[in-house]
Amino acid sequence: MHLVTSDGDLIQRAADGDRSAFEDLYQRYARPVFGLALRRLGDRGRAEDAVQETFASIWRSASSYRPDRGPGAPWLYAVARNAIVDRARVRNEIPSEIPDEAGSEPGPSDRAEQGWVAWRVHRALEELPEREREVLALAYWSGLSQSEVAEFLGIPLGTVKTRTRAALAKLSEILGDEIE
Amino acid sequence: MSRFEDLVDREGLTSEEEARLRRVHDLLVQAGPPPDLPPALERPPSAPAEGELVQFPLLPRRRWPFVAVAAATLVALAFGGGYLIGHAKNKATPFATKFVVPMHGPHALALIRVAPRDAAGNWPMELEVNNLPRQKVRGDYYELWLTRHGKAIVRCGAFRVNERTTTVRLSVPYDFGKFKGWVVTRQTATHHEPGPIVLTT
Repeated sequence: MHLVTSDGDLIQRAADGDRSAFEDLYQRYARPVFGLALRRLGDRGRAEDAVQETFASIWRSASSYRPDRGPGAPWLYAVARNAIVDRARVRNEIPSEIPDEAGSEPGPSDRAEQGWVAWRVHRALEELPEREREVLALAYWSGLSQSEVAEFLGIPLGTVKTRTRAALAKLSEILGDEIE
Repeated sequence: MSRFEDLVDREGLTSEEEARLRRVHDLLVQAGPPPDLPPALERPPSAPAEGELVQFPLLPRRRWPFVAVAAATLVALAFGGGYLIGHAKNKATPFATKFVVPMHGPHALALIRVAPRDAAGNWPMELEVNNLPRQKVRGDYYELWLTRHGKAIVRCGAFRVNERTTTVRLSVPYDFGKFKGWVVTRQTATHHEPGPIVLTT
């Protein structure tokens, strides 16, 4: 059973001025927002600015969130997208996500889908215990084999596999409908 | 990238459980690695400033509770939005704050912390600005003014910005009760009359 406070609850509490709820949202979403901004703006400095603007927008507009219209994650995603697009417009630049011409690259809808998947997955990773998140990061994105991960962390191979499986199981709970 | 079979011990998994884990595996592959957060974004927004919050023009005493609520909302917005992340590292020494004035602009925020008036009649102030564009031209600067009827009347100090959050110490001898607000203007090295307003109370 996944008992972590929902994003929607945190947004509603933030709307009432609850700073700890807002900080929880920040902990969950700072990295996904930064990832999204980085992907679309292509510049770390501007992506940092976009993260700050996103959370300013979240704080300002939290009261506009309506739980009966859906969970919190899509609402937060929309706020982040708007802030990032605004950041691009401020500089009179086109978001890097928008292609200049047709090509073999994924189209806007595919990219949007990919952005949404990364958003949800990166946000879900924030809820894993550090030791499980570490194993997943090494296993999936470091290029190390499981044996090398075990050696790197100084733990038995069996423990690496156990943590990997436990981490995937937790992610499947957190992601919920996303994996149906 | 390792295969699912290489990463996960499937012993004891039902076919349904395995399918869900495979789906998560696929999503992890599709999502790619999360980015490292830069140091400026690692910390959650910092605590609100100490000191009584006021708004200009200074109002009769009985209205201050309402003003404080409004000003607190603005400051909470500033801090809650993460605009003032990192302010603590820029503060050289603690500043005895009598009251705090929030300022805002299209893409920037600021706080003026005003200390008790000294024996000579000066108001020491600490101005903390966030997100103002860094000057590209040598000699360009920003200027803080007290205003009356929407016009910048008296200078309160000039400054340049470097980091996302810049804090400067200023001091003025004016009677705040004679003014209606504050603005920050953008100034060039060759033009010292009030320039375009970038922040206002």
